[in-house]
Amino acid sequence: MDLLAQILINGILLGGLYAIMALGLALVWGVLNIVNLSHGAFIMLGAYLSWYLYSWAGIDPFLGLPITAVLMFCLGYAVQRGLLNFVVRGPMFNTLLITFGLEVVLTYLAQLAFSADFRTINPSYAGNSIPFGPIVIPQARLMAFGIAILLTVAMWIFLLRTRLGRAIRATAQNLVAARLYGVDPRHLYAVTFGIGIGLAGVAGGLYGTVSQINPYIGATLTAKCFAIAIIGGLDSPLGVIVGGIVLGLIESLAILYVGATFGDVASFGVLVLVLILRPSGLLGKTT
Amino acid sequence: MNGMRWILAVIAVAVLACVPWFGSDVVVQFGISTLLLAVLAQGWNIIGGYAGYASFGNSTFFGLGAYGVAIAMVQWNMPFWVGMVFGAVMAVAFAILLGLPVLRLKGHYFAIATLALAQVVAAIVSNIPLFGENIGLVLPPLNNDAMFYEMALALLVAATLTVWWLTRSRFGFGLIAIRENEEGAAVMGVNTTAYKVLAFALSGLFSALAGGIQAYWITFLDPASAFDISLNVKMIIMTVFGGPGTVLGPIVGAFVLSAISEVLSSEITSVASLFFGVVVVAAVVLMPRGLADVVRRFRKSGWHYFAENIRAHKL
Repeated sequence: MDLLAQILINGILLGGLYAIMALGLALVWGVLNIVNLSHGAFIMLGAYLSWYLYSWAGIDPFLGLPITAVLMFCLGYAVQRGLLNFVVRGPMFNTLLITFGLEVVLTYLAQLAFSADFRTINPSYAGNSIPFGPIVIPQARLMAFGIAILLTVAMWIFLLRTRLGRAIRATAQNLVAARLYGVDPRHLYAVTFGIGIGLAGVAGGLYGTVSQINPYIGATLTAKCFAIAIIGGLDSPLGVIVGGIVLGLIESLAILYVGATFGDVASFGVLVLVLILRPSGLLGKTT
Repeated sequence: MNGMRWILAVIAVAVLACVPWFGSDVVVQFGISTLLLAVLAQGWNIIGGYAGYASFGNSTFFGLGAYGVAIAMVQWNMPFWVGMVFGAVMAVAFAILLGLPVLRLKGHYFAIATLALAQVVAAIVSNIPLFGENIGLVLPPLNNDAMFYEMALALLVAATLTVWWLTRSRFGFGLIAIRENEEGAAVMGVNTTAYKVLAFALSGLFSALAGGIQAYWITFLDPASAFDISLNVKMIIMTVFGGPGTVLGPIVGAFVLSAISEVLSSEITSVASLFFGVVVVAAVVLMPRGLADVVRRFRKSGWHYFAENIRAHKL
């Protein structure tokens, strides 16, 4: 029973991290209608940025997150403004393909720049954990979970309450009408993509504190982000939290009860089932 | 196709068929892998190029075809052709059984569902004893590269003739109608479900046969290489680079990109992969309908062709 409780706690904590990974993907997908296959590669870049900030400049990985976020935002803004804006009105398949090409470029540039070695971000408190009755809660994972939830809720408030957030939602609903009301879509698309990539950067920094990083982690992470966005739906950031925690729990339980190699089978199997049975997500509106 | 083009096509095939007699071992081996990739691209062309359903799961068919041959020859001691039939049957059955639910999805959702399915199948297969689990299967070696070359060439000709038949048959027009407007096609009396599943099965059939030849040629098979997800990427890029929804585009794409990647990977492997990524990005921006469309329209609009493409799709 203790083992099950421990697995459930681990699953939920992992789910929080998954949620913030998928948040940027869901935002870009929902607003720009781009399924960003390079999202995982940007998470990987964020993780390396965080690693260099920590090991070269000695900045604590959690305190360095704002720096990572700002730098990644600028990168995302530039990519959308200088590249993706030129294909965004083309067929859906073109954006799928170009972001895929971007994924390949980022992965192999990272391999050339950082080498293929495994790395971890290991601050002094990385091994600490908080005992809680019979189970233990790893401190770094708990902090990552807290930041993930905090940012997701902040994102929700930003989209609902601020002028810029309203402009983003308006553009998602109707590009032409938003344009008529004075929204500059080129800038707004770039800002939205920048926010998505900034979130990916933060997710990468958090990922680096709980798991190993190498240049090839991107593709699997993108696939997981999809699964989460599909399970949670694209309508609100809160759905993404639910999707992340559901996926974290499913993976942890599948590894416990079926076997270590079945974590991914379970999560992608659930993805296919949800797609077939409820294409708008578990929480999404039925159409 | 008029008479002149037929003659040119026959000459091209005849020249290609002579390669094993003149080329070195390296050329023939490069030829086999390029021809097999061209078959995969042509197979993808049927479901992705003509029916407009961007499958990211065709690697599964390739893997099933490869394992059909490996299981028949290693586990059951059967001849090669039985394995080819077995693999093809598995792939077609898979295409029909999973195509029925998955082909109901559209756009991004179909692409993602097939990608996820490909990963699920790869993970499940590596835990089945019949498939050799993670250790893999070793096939009886046959050092006859010329034969494998001719088989791959024959398969490519068969796939290309099938795609050519699509451009002039009721079935092919139905697929194009589905790509352009699925509701419209249904209203005009196209049985969209049957057409899509059939296109998926046909696409799977050719991919599986290519997998079977590859397995016997390489003589070693494990789940990681047979169900390699990145194979999808190669076939899609080659088709899109050459021209999706055209008869010869995928072949041109496969030959051009394989040749460039072969030259580059003799330097550094990661540079070749990087190059693939850059080609995709540039191709989507500058020539989203592939080389075939460039050839068709470049004469009329010259260098403006690329600017026109950007103007058509930018925000």
